[in-house]
Amino acid sequence: MSSTSIEYTKKDLPSNVTKLGAALVVIGLVITILAYFIDHTRSAFNNLILLMFLSSVGVGSLFLVVIEYLGGAVWSVPFRRISEFFGAVLLILPIIAIPVYFNLHDLFHWTHIESVAGDKLLEEKSPYLNEMFFTIRVLAYFLIWIMFYLVITRNSRKQDVSGDQKLTKKNIRYSAIFIPVFAITLTFASIDWLMSLEPHWFSTIFGIYYFSGTVLTALAIATFAIVSLNEKGLLVKGITKDHYYSLGALMFAFTNFWAYIAFSQYLLIWYANLPEETFWFLARWEGSWMYFSIGLIIVRFLVPYIGLLSQPSKMNPKRLKIMSVWILFAHIYDLYWLIMPTYSKDGIVFGWIEFGFPLLAGGILILVFNMRAKNQNLVPIGDPKLKRGLNFRL
Amino acid sequence: MSGLDYTQEISVVEGQPSLREIEDLISKPLDSKPDKKYYIALAITMTMLGIGVIALGLSFYYGTGLWGNNNPVGWGFPIVNFVFWVGIGHAGTLISAILFLFRQKWRNGIARFAEGMTIFAVMTAGIFPLIHVGRPWLAGYLIPYPNQHSLWVNFTSPLLWDVFAVSTYLTVSFIFWYVGLIPDFATLRDRTTNKLKKIIYSTFSLGWRHSNRHWQHYEMVYLILAGFATPLVLSVHTIVSFDFAVSILPGWHTTIFPPYFVAGAVFSGFAMVQNVLIFIRKIFNYEHIITVDTLEKMNKIILLTGSMVGYAYAMEFFIAWYSGVQPEQFTFINRAFGPYTWAYWIMVSCNVIFPQLFWFKKIRTTIPVMFVIGVLVNVGMWFERFVITVTSLSRDYLPSSWAYYAPTLTDAGILIGSFGLFFTLLLLFTKTLPVVSIAEVKAVVKGSQPSHGDH
Repeated sequence: MSSTSIEYTKKDLPSNVTKLGAALVVIGLVITILAYFIDHTRSAFNNLILLMFLSSVGVGSLFLVVIEYLGGAVWSVPFRRISEFFGAVLLILPIIAIPVYFNLHDLFHWTHIESVAGDKLLEEKSPYLNEMFFTIRVLAYFLIWIMFYLVITRNSRKQDVSGDQKLTKKNIRYSAIFIPVFAITLTFASIDWLMSLEPHWFSTIFGIYYFSGTVLTALAIATFAIVSLNEKGLLVKGITKDHYYSLGALMFAFTNFWAYIAFSQYLLIWYANLPEETFWFLARWEGSWMYFSIGLIIVRFLVPYIGLLSQPSKMNPKRLKIMSVWILFAHIYDLYWLIMPTYSKDGIVFGWIEFGFPLLAGGILILVFNMRAKNQNLVPIGDPKLKRGLNFRL
Repeated sequence: MSGLDYTQEISVVEGQPSLREIEDLISKPLDSKPDKKYYIALAITMTMLGIGVIALGLSFYYGTGLWGNNNPVGWGFPIVNFVFWVGIGHAGTLISAILFLFRQKWRNGIARFAEGMTIFAVMTAGIFPLIHVGRPWLAGYLIPYPNQHSLWVNFTSPLLWDVFAVSTYLTVSFIFWYVGLIPDFATLRDRTTNKLKKIIYSTFSLGWRHSNRHWQHYEMVYLILAGFATPLVLSVHTIVSFDFAVSILPGWHTTIFPPYFVAGAVFSGFAMVQNVLIFIRKIFNYEHIITVDTLEKMNKIILLTGSMVGYAYAMEFFIAWYSGVQPEQFTFINRAFGPYTWAYWIMVSCNVIFPQLFWFKKIRTTIPVMFVIGVLVNVGMWFERFVITVTSLSRDYLPSSWAYYAPTLTDAGILIGSFGLFFTLLLLFTKTLPVVSIAEVKAVVKGSQPSHGDH
């Protein structure tokens, strides 16, 4: 074993980035609040995209942290803290959800008791799809995610000071408990927020579909932050192209995984051609939605696939940054494709309202990250696996 | 916690055997004459194979009426067995390709054997569609080529995609296996004193000289092959799942089928590899190469994939209710409480309940217990295919055409024969080729890794 010493001194993040984040949040808030006054239905739909996007970042980042503990991975230890910071988005998810919650009637057809009454299918579903149970479930998801986030990151922070290996052991335990809980909550969260927009439609793979996008989003945002911070020398010394390659390879793998899941869902429904299921895809083939659906294949699959296919591209910091931002955009694109056909049936709508919510998302992510980074180390310096992580070579 | 140190990597190989010792140990079964136990084992598997041959011979003579297949259950045992064996064949390529891409060093001790099992399992699986078509001598028509009859295959049928997927999988798995064997053939060539063996090993080692340049090319080929094989691990069972899921039969048509089948296949394949390795490491004294730690990691994967299968069962059930589609709901209630209750609950307990015991480290590292769970997993996965195939067919939309399916002795004979074939091939494998990769194990012995930074 070579004797790499851990060279890390805490430096402040560049203040202009924080200012940019604050500016984005302010502009975003102005636009979104204005939007709610002008067209609250359309805003609620956009708000739902925002909520599902930030949920992906938050719970996806927590998933990456947990999977590192559980798999005993070492290569990702030097930048685990980055995902921990993004996991903090979970704390503000309930706030993002409030405006959505107060507009449930605009979003979800099944909340209208009078139209459920005449609809046999919706009547049958009403033990699950009713506002009371929906509220309980949503609260449970937030509570569970936040609880695990707090416990796991607290142990990780404590280790910075004590270097106690028992904390790693503890977090492995919590991670093991979290994984099944994560699978269940993420699935039902996606059914509740996304699938039930079309309450007649159903697909058993839907939870996995949202999962694939969630992991991809968490990977992309982590990659962007890691590469940017490392270039400025704000992380620990010794993060090399081998680490970059691993991040690029994972983004590439999950891009393929998303395509696999999306294609499986589409092919089976297309092939069986049952009207109970096909109407959901047909709605996404109506008018200009057709072009948007074709675009999804290009945006979400082809571009990242080609962009990350070759070995050098997975190690190239510039390519990684472009691709990770692209993948974040692709997730919003995907969510728009999942959500907006319910709002605008004849074709896509795009205006300043659709522009404002992603701005707010960007601002929130920057601010949350920088606030976390202010008082904490950017590297888990007490982690027993850190040295091995820095020695990681392909 | 007791003495777990996260700052140190756990060595894949226990102790510090010298490279020479590893070579001697792994090639010992090839240099020595088989003992009595080997012949006894071979006699058992050959008898099982014989039973299968007789059952098949009778089937060809009297026709498929000897089987339990009826109307509406036209698929019966042949398809159940086909899916089961293809599933078993999934561990090998997952271990050799996907775990290779994930840089999991613990795979090195077990990859060769698992790859061998993959090839034998796919070969065994291939028998079933052939006999199920009734006239295997016409199977050549499955290959699309311009012919005098202007007969073309149905390109829109997943059954045809199966032909392409499985044959591609077999080919790539075989190439992968062979490429990995080349350096070992060279090692064996350099060791042997037997003239005939020397000629054979020399031929198959393709002039390998262990030179730096050879290794560089080898590494590159291996990485590319791993890249090609990875989508194949997913595609084969995905397409097998399409055989069911593109139809409109309740219980078959559900969008989660592709990933669910892949998880199930890896699940059963790992259980089979774990079971066989427990014997191999004992018989050939490989306990320090295939360590308990390696077995524990396999058990973790069994736990993970088993939980995925459990998730899929739960999703199917939930969405069947949520969909509000009556035949869907009926199918799942019928599975759990209808005439095939026994099969369904064997499936659930073996696939979902027992593997959950692997949450406990004690159970993951106790060999007799993990062996039993591994066997149960394979029982459960066989029954899963039985439940999917038979329950949905036996009671479909039209109650007047419902019928109970019961397998016959001939069906059982063919199933026994398939196990006979698989294990006979495995036994022959252990005596003709190194079941553990000599070169790859040498690479993970302590002290053989390159170190970085200052020396």
